[in-house]
Amino acid sequence: MDFSQVDFTPEQLALESEIREIIEANWTPNYAHIAVDHDRMPVKVRMEFAKRGLLHPDLPKDQGGAGLGELELEMIAGIADEYWMPTNVSNSMLIPTLEKHGSAWLKEHVLPGIRRGEITTCLGYSEPDNGSDIAAATTKAVQDGDTWVINGQKMWTTWGNESDYVFLLARTGAVEEKHRTLTMFLVPMDTPGVEATPVWILGGGRTNVTFYTDVTVSDQYRIGPVNEGWNVMSEPLATEHGAGVETQGVAPVNGTMGQTFSRVFEKFVDASIKWAASRKTADGKSRLEDPITRMAIAEAMLDLEMCWNAEGELGKPMSAEALSRNADRMADIAAPEGLLDFGVDGSIYAGNIASERQHAPGTSVYGGTTEIYRNNLARRLGLPRPY
Amino acid sequence: MSLTLRRNDYSLTDEQGQLVDMLRDIFTEQSPIAVVRAAEPLGFDQKLWDTVKENGLVTISVPESAGGDGGGLVELVLAGIEIGRTAAPVPLLDQVVALRAFAALKAAGADLAGLDMDAALAGDLIVSIAPISTWELGSQLIPSGAVAKAVLAFKDDSIILMSRKTLAPQAQNEGCAPVAWWSPTDSDVATTTVLEGAQALATWELVQREWRIATASSLVGLLAISSEMAREYALDRKAFGVTIAKFQAISHQLADIHMDVVTARNMTLKAAWLTENEPEYRPELAAMAMAHATRAALRSTTKAAHVYGGMGITLEADISLFFRKVTSWSLVGGGQRRDLEEIARAIDTRAAELQLQSSNR
Ligand SMILES: Cc1cc2nc3c(=O)[nH]c(=O)nc-3n(C[C@H](O)[C@H](O)[C@H](O)COP(=O)(O)OP(=O)(O)OC[C@H]3O[C@@H](n4cnc5c(N)ncnc54)[C@H](O)[C@@H]3O)c2cc1C
Repeated sequence: MDFSQVDFTPEQLALESEIREIIEANWTPNYAHIAVDHDRMPVKVRMEFAKRGLLHPDLPKDQGGAGLGELELEMIAGIADEYWMPTNVSNSMLIPTLEKHGSAWLKEHVLPGIRRGEITTCLGYSEPDNGSDIAAATTKAVQDGDTWVINGQKMWTTWGNESDYVFLLARTGAVEEKHRTLTMFLVPMDTPGVEATPVWILGGGRTNVTFYTDVTVSDQYRIGPVNEGWNVMSEPLATEHGAGVETQGVAPVNGTMGQTFSRVFEKFVDASIKWAASRKTADGKSRLEDPITRMAIAEAMLDLEMCWNAEGELGKPMSAEALSRNADRMADIAAPEGLLDFGVDGSIYAGNIASERQHAPGTSVYGGTTEIYRNNLARRLGLPRPY
Repeated sequence: MSLTLRRNDYSLTDEQGQLVDMLRDIFTEQSPIAVVRAAEPLGFDQKLWDTVKENGLVTISVPESAGGDGGGLVELVLAGIEIGRTAAPVPLLDQVVALRAFAALKAAGADLAGLDMDAALAGDLIVSIAPISTWELGSQLIPSGAVAKAVLAFKDDSIILMSRKTLAPQAQNEGCAPVAWWSPTDSDVATTTVLEGAQALATWELVQREWRIATASSLVGLLAISSEMAREYALDRKAFGVTIAKFQAISHQLADIHMDVVTARNMTLKAAWLTENEPEYRPELAAMAMAHATRAALRSTTKAAHVYGGMGITLEADISLFFRKVTSWSLVGGGQRRDLEEIARAIDTRAAELQLQSSNR
């Protein structure tokens, strides 16, 4: 057991300065936007990071990384967080998949660009009629000689409007066969027949519906064997879910999404404190001294600490639900100002409170709903499938 | 501004792992439910206490300099979890917290002349503390107060030692915890001041934190065993022709209970490590561990009992025994609102930090 502070080596201190310089030169924090978890890393920062191997810092140098360890990864995450800078790239989890299952052509022409941060991807799993039940996908890929013809519709293709490729889950057999007739493709988004239209979500974020009409791609874009798509997709999905997190004693234990949500939550607790410090009660005292306000913020702090302690796959559902619960609580404590948008007269940090109240419910849905997480957890506890 | 990072390593050493194995063997063997029930209503079993003494557990987390075997708060938490898992009717946690407090008091130059330290270290004299004495002035309920003859408390800016020649009568409670009313002004209670002034408050705050951590650990244990029992019952029990574990209304409750167990355990271990090694860093962690263990134990043993249906609320069901224990063990320290009040002090710390930061921006 060890929770002591890390003493940085001279190399690590140099890395810290380097990262700060890159961010300061290429990014202006937007304190109005608390939900940085749903956004992409700013392009200019991405390119600078990529040059230095910092986009996938844990990869070996000859694979486009910087050969850094868990501690440096945490440093980068911590600094980015300080500047309210989104770090989502969405490529990292595809790199091992492409290495393992990608065609020779993809490995030669696409993988290096992904590693260099020049090529971006989005995830095309969910469809209008099936989200949780991904294995019920109906978007069809039909083989025609050396090519595939894809027809169908995907839902919630986040970043689908600004990505170079979509990691697409397609049906290559009878739909009744469920996960036995799925195949993965990496489809260039500029292929004729691919179209993305926006879907706006609470809190102002964008995701997309993507349409695939007679989209024809060469067999070289297939990832993994035909009808093995379920296995190919499972690995990055598990990474996203925070499964089997094995840390080396530095990284938070609460998985990728758990961590991201907890960082948003942390900002939100700060926003609540700043708001309380800026308000007075009728007797002229700061609301920081008001027992009701203190109790509410203390409960938020307690929940935040709980989120950091929610191991592995518990991280996502616990932090998603804690975010919603506390956004409700703080909006209520800060009522009526809690409803004001950022920048509106009188809102100050309450704008963050209102904005988090809009953002939080989504965290219980994207990346797998909290019910699906509970199903998975129940199975890990040795309980039978519900159906 | 510069970045600081902390390690996040919850792993146990091999020795700590062996300690857990040893403790689990002792308590599962010597404190089966039958023993726990037989010890009711007092909640104390002399034979089990003798076993605890023989196994050298009384000094488990007492510094070597104070006659202990040098284990730390983490070891105490590991012991607390095993005690909770078996609802063992022994006042070990209060005893160790008090012994650690004596050691801290001695180091601070306190006068403990009135105390038979050898007897306390041997477990022949049962000692405890008054966790709510900073806000409850007169008569108060003392954990292990019905079996202890010496109790440390905070009164009028001083740490005092209250002693009795005879035992205080137990105040009856659902969980059959050996709590009793003690008052410094009671004619049966002899009171001496052991430490005064600013040092007294600082020392007492640390004692209070350690008591919270120790008590939280016992709640973690109660919670863990309730979770395992409910899971097994759900796999066994059938309704509508299937095991009830197949119903999501049940399995999701079990998942929630499990989340409570894991987070409460991790928070308590982390608070223990940091309180031991860096007491000045995030002093609210102990209250957080206690507040979360309390709410988790209260809600999750309720859910666990619910998984049993009607059986869960019968007195003969073991799950209801754990439910009852949680009630008493989680409330004797003053409840979650008091913990939150303590946690709220971190708001002031953070507010000060944030003002520094915003002037930089
Ligand atoms: C902002 C946002 C971004 C997203 N980004 C992407 C992306 O980039 N790529 C992508 O492929 N997808 C993405 N998703 C899709 C997301 O993964 C799905 O929304 C999610 O998996 C739920 O699917 P659904 O919306 O179809 O809901 P449904 O599956 O229809 O679920 C409806 C309700 O039923 C419950 N439910 C369903 N099945 C079960 C069950 N077995 N047991 C208990 N309850 C159940 C759910 O929990 C939910 O409450 C995104 C979603 C959002 C909102």
